[in-house]
Amino acid sequence: MVTKLNLQRQSFLGADSEIVLDRSRSALVGLGGGGSHIAQQLAHIGLGHFLVIDPDFIEDTNLNRLVGATLEDVGLGTAKVDIAERVIKSVNPSADVVKRLASWTEVTAELCDVDVIFACVDSMGCRSELEGFARRFLIPLIDIGMDVHELSGEFSISGQVMLSMPSKPCMRCLGLVTDDGLAKEAARYGAAGGKPQVVWPNGTLASVAVGFFMKIVTPWETQKATPLLLEYDGDLQTVTPSNKLPHLPANCKHFDSLNELGDPFWTPLTVRELLA
Amino acid sequence: MRTILKLTSTLYDDLVRRLREPHDFAAERVAFLKCRPALSATSLLLLAGGVHHVVDGDYVDDPSAGATIGRSGLRKALQTAYTEAVSMVHVHLHEHRGRPGFSRTDLRENALFVPDFWNVQPSLPHGAVVFSFDSAIGQCWIPGSSSPSGVEVAIIGNPMRCTWKVTNGY
Repeated sequence: MVTKLNLQRQSFLGADSEIVLDRSRSALVGLGGGGSHIAQQLAHIGLGHFLVIDPDFIEDTNLNRLVGATLEDVGLGTAKVDIAERVIKSVNPSADVVKRLASWTEVTAELCDVDVIFACVDSMGCRSELEGFARRFLIPLIDIGMDVHELSGEFSISGQVMLSMPSKPCMRCLGLVTDDGLAKEAARYGAAGGKPQVVWPNGTLASVAVGFFMKIVTPWETQKATPLLLEYDGDLQTVTPSNKLPHLPANCKHFDSLNELGDPFWTPLTVRELLA
Repeated sequence: MRTILKLTSTLYDDLVRRLREPHDFAAERVAFLKCRPALSATSLLLLAGGVHHVVDGDYVDDPSAGATIGRSGLRKALQTAYTEAVSMVHVHLHEHRGRPGFSRTDLRENALFVPDFWNVQPSLPHGAVVFSFDSAIGQCWIPGSSSPSGVEVAIIGNPMRCTWKVTNGY
């Protein structure tokens, strides 16, 4: 009986790659169409430690895209974190999966401990807040997003994958987060119904996101710099580097202050807590 | 509880470039990483946001050590810790590959001057780290604790390098 993941076919990632992956810890924030794909792929590549975070339970409208979910889950109203854990453990039983049926803002102490955060959230406001958190604790964040727009009576699918690396251009630098966009989103709060979502664009974006992760953690070549932002055109079925990239500053100016690092309130009480 | 020093590869590359610049008489250069602390579920994090460099004139010509900081240099470092409210991590570079080690002089001097930063920032942890070309090792003094704890180092960039992930170097 096979009980251990055999990673022989990915040994080109380096002599230490199996150890590095086994000792790496990633958080997946949001386990819907995108996050469930990423969880499955990270299990296959041998990631050792997962922190999976989502406050929601599966609904029948999720079944068109949530990897690993079954009709039985819909009947039972299974938590999305439980589905993710089941998928991961079915591939790699030795993976350490910490699951939190909560918003990421309720588990920030655990989120500080991860090497990389995957942001698989719906709103501009949420991805902006999550990026701010990741920058504060010097954690690379990989964000994926897709959308379906109605154009002249037809539909267009688009999306993006972004690597938000501390000190490098952020979502504001890249125009993915704007004050205007946040204000419009806030004005629409509560009014929007379910956004259109389908499985194949999520799968494409999730695969690119896992590629970003592997390039950071176990790079198989070092000559080609990974573009920070890749844009997905779901109509043409292409993924290309954003044309914004040549115009970006080398380093981010939105998160460049010492005051934006670490615990906002560090007191003698914090020290006593540390020593206890 | 582990202590982890995190710095971006942008900061690290600039730091190493400056540490490798020759000095008129000092055999090596030293600097201080300006850090803000954070407490995660399992670790004390020292998050580096800048470098306090020791300027040429603040080294003392002391053949018994690779680099000795004069009174003026130490005073400036203490001033930075006080005015910017930061944890200070003394850094220097051993120019070889593989896991570095503190020399006997390093260990003796670290124990003498690192706790001095508590005179200006008593509630913050302070420390010392020595880098090699592909690894690092460190010590951290936590307020209320009489002896230093070990420090792991993570360089956040593309690629990401963490001392605890592989057995030899990052």
